[in-house]
Amino acid sequence: MEHKDRIRMNIGPVHPAMHGVLKLILDVEGDTVVKAEPEIGFLHRASEKIAEMRYFSNYYPIMDKLDYVSALNMEILYASTVEKAAGITISERATYMRTIMAEIQRIMSHLIFIGSLGEDFGNLTSFIWALRERELLMTIVEKISGGRLAPMYMCNGGMFYDFPEGIDKDILEALDKIENKVKHEYSAVFTKNQIFLSRTKGIGIMTKDMIKRYGITGPIARASGINRDLRKVSPYLAYDKVDFDVPVEENGDTYSRFIVRLNEILESIKIIRQCLKQLPAGNYKTAVPWIIRIPKKDTFVKQESSRGEMGIFLVTDGSDKPYRLKLRSPTFFAIRALEELLVNVKVADAFVIVASIDPVMGEVDR
Amino acid sequence: MIFDYVYSIVSRFVFSPLSYIISFIIIAILAVIVTAFIPVFIGWVDRKYSARIQSRYGPVYVGPFGLLQNFADLTKMLGKRFIATNIDVLAFNFTPIVVATSSFAMLLLLPLGAPGLEFISIPYSLLFVYTLLAISPLLLLVAGWGENNKYALIGGFRGAAQIISYELALIIVLSSVALLSGSYSIPAIVAGQSSIWYGLYLPVTLLIFIISGLAIIEREPFDVPEASQELQAGWKVEYSGIRYGFFLIGDYVRVTVIAMLVTYLFLGGWLGPVLPGVLWFIIKAAIVLMIILTPRWIFGRPRIDQLIKFGWNWLLPLAILNLILVELFVVL
Repeated sequence: MEHKDRIRMNIGPVHPAMHGVLKLILDVEGDTVVKAEPEIGFLHRASEKIAEMRYFSNYYPIMDKLDYVSALNMEILYASTVEKAAGITISERATYMRTIMAEIQRIMSHLIFIGSLGEDFGNLTSFIWALRERELLMTIVEKISGGRLAPMYMCNGGMFYDFPEGIDKDILEALDKIENKVKHEYSAVFTKNQIFLSRTKGIGIMTKDMIKRYGITGPIARASGINRDLRKVSPYLAYDKVDFDVPVEENGDTYSRFIVRLNEILESIKIIRQCLKQLPAGNYKTAVPWIIRIPKKDTFVKQESSRGEMGIFLVTDGSDKPYRLKLRSPTFFAIRALEELLVNVKVADAFVIVASIDPVMGEVDR
Repeated sequence: MIFDYVYSIVSRFVFSPLSYIISFIIIAILAVIVTAFIPVFIGWVDRKYSARIQSRYGPVYVGPFGLLQNFADLTKMLGKRFIATNIDVLAFNFTPIVVATSSFAMLLLLPLGAPGLEFISIPYSLLFVYTLLAISPLLLLVAGWGENNKYALIGGFRGAAQIISYELALIIVLSSVALLSGSYSIPAIVAGQSSIWYGLYLPVTLLIFIISGLAIIEREPFDVPEASQELQAGWKVEYSGIRYGFFLIGDYVRVTVIAMLVTYLFLGGWLGPVLPGVLWFIIKAAIVLMIILTPRWIFGRPRIDQLIKFGWNWLLPLAILNLILVELFVVL
């Protein structure tokens, strides 16, 4: 059926405002979207298949490139899965170090989200400010692991290296700066900026029912009033030994999704500070041979990554490689909801809503 | 008027008909220098200023403090290949030329800091400047149509809708100032402010003027027609090379023109104690320019329907109320 006054816009995979290589096919009448169709698969690299051809220790670089905005979370998840399957226990120091790294990565990921949300409705300053703050942590990750975007820091049984001398002072300093900026400076561009409020409040509302239908988790679900955070529900690493709150908003609009993530940054800062205070001495790594064999069994581990519940289903058959590795990625489910979310919104809002989902295509396409 | 001044000097040395032509050429060269210098310099100011806000350096390498960066960019644009296909050639090439010439004409109509220091002097210069500002919806529609691109077409429609909504408020505000001073010529308006600046007892008018002025020149946050995020570059999407360069120059000229108009209409132009008039004018215009440049880096972009609603529901009624009040004031 051809409608006379309907324009079909192919947005992406190389549109400047698209996140990664997401493609949106929008049918537009005037300035209103009447039908939206997200198209994925442009970044499909057969990550799951590659796992079947690699030793358990050699898959970490591929995990880095799944959700490349929060690579350390991916690494920790894979390490936990292999360790659970092989029955390796890691030292207490290693759990604390992993918690610190996971939260540093979460802050970095949320800063990227905040920046790109601002950038998507035309405020370039917010993006550059967020990247400026992220750079502080990036430098710390570089000092610790040697890498920046894909750090390659985790390994079976712990970490490749211990924290360098005096890094806790650097981390605390960076956290103080970020906390100050997020609490005071960001209000000018975000929370007290009338244009930002008018562009985000009441836009792209996700109901609780919708969240459940699509299986959406993480900050998006928490913005719709679903109080579920794996760090609280089934604590892993050192999360049961630290005190933190789970930010929950009720409205489910773009603004709530922003506020949830903004508050999560502050909570993560709280967690890192406690972890640094409690950080025990000891081994950072349990000695594990490079090539390990895992007996025949199924293992499923899920953790709270920056975008929601990321899970790995690992099937082993007694060999030195996985028989099958299945990834459960949070944004894959969230992107499906765009089809429903983007109907009857203005074209300009469509981009803000996509940004509020915070998709990383590496993780969606796998 | 500059022409008379140049002519009086030239005619001392050369015969009458020839001197007329020579002074005409000198004026033309001067006009080109002035109109080329102003946008490039303002562009540099904008780039440096935004860099300071965003903790960057801005242009550094070309020339002292990167002053010549914009010249380098324009030179680069001259060498770009023309890549647009399936376009309406006439409509496509019409827009950049008209944007550039109309912007330059605005600059030539306004006195540059002192009475008589304008290239073209006519008694209705203010109205003429407004007319040149107000032809942009036509240009956007023509460009959006000529580019044969969906983004450009949507951008063109958005632009026309936006500018038409804010034009009315602008002309009403201009009329209320003209009503107060009894003239549409800028020297007369400035002379009318010798006792008190209009901006001081018409602050609302000043605000309406700045907002609708920014909306008409599509300066962010009112850059909905070219929305670089959703529409890529809106009605400019297919333009490249020096045609795009014309738009850039035109944009900065328009920003300058709005800053100058604010200074003339509301802040007393070249009037001020002690210092010479030109200096006063430059100080005031620079402050206004900085204020006008700031919103781009703090605010996002409102949605097109919010923008148009704001224009019709708030700005226009306020401008009309303002006009009525001024009229009452003048009559009484």
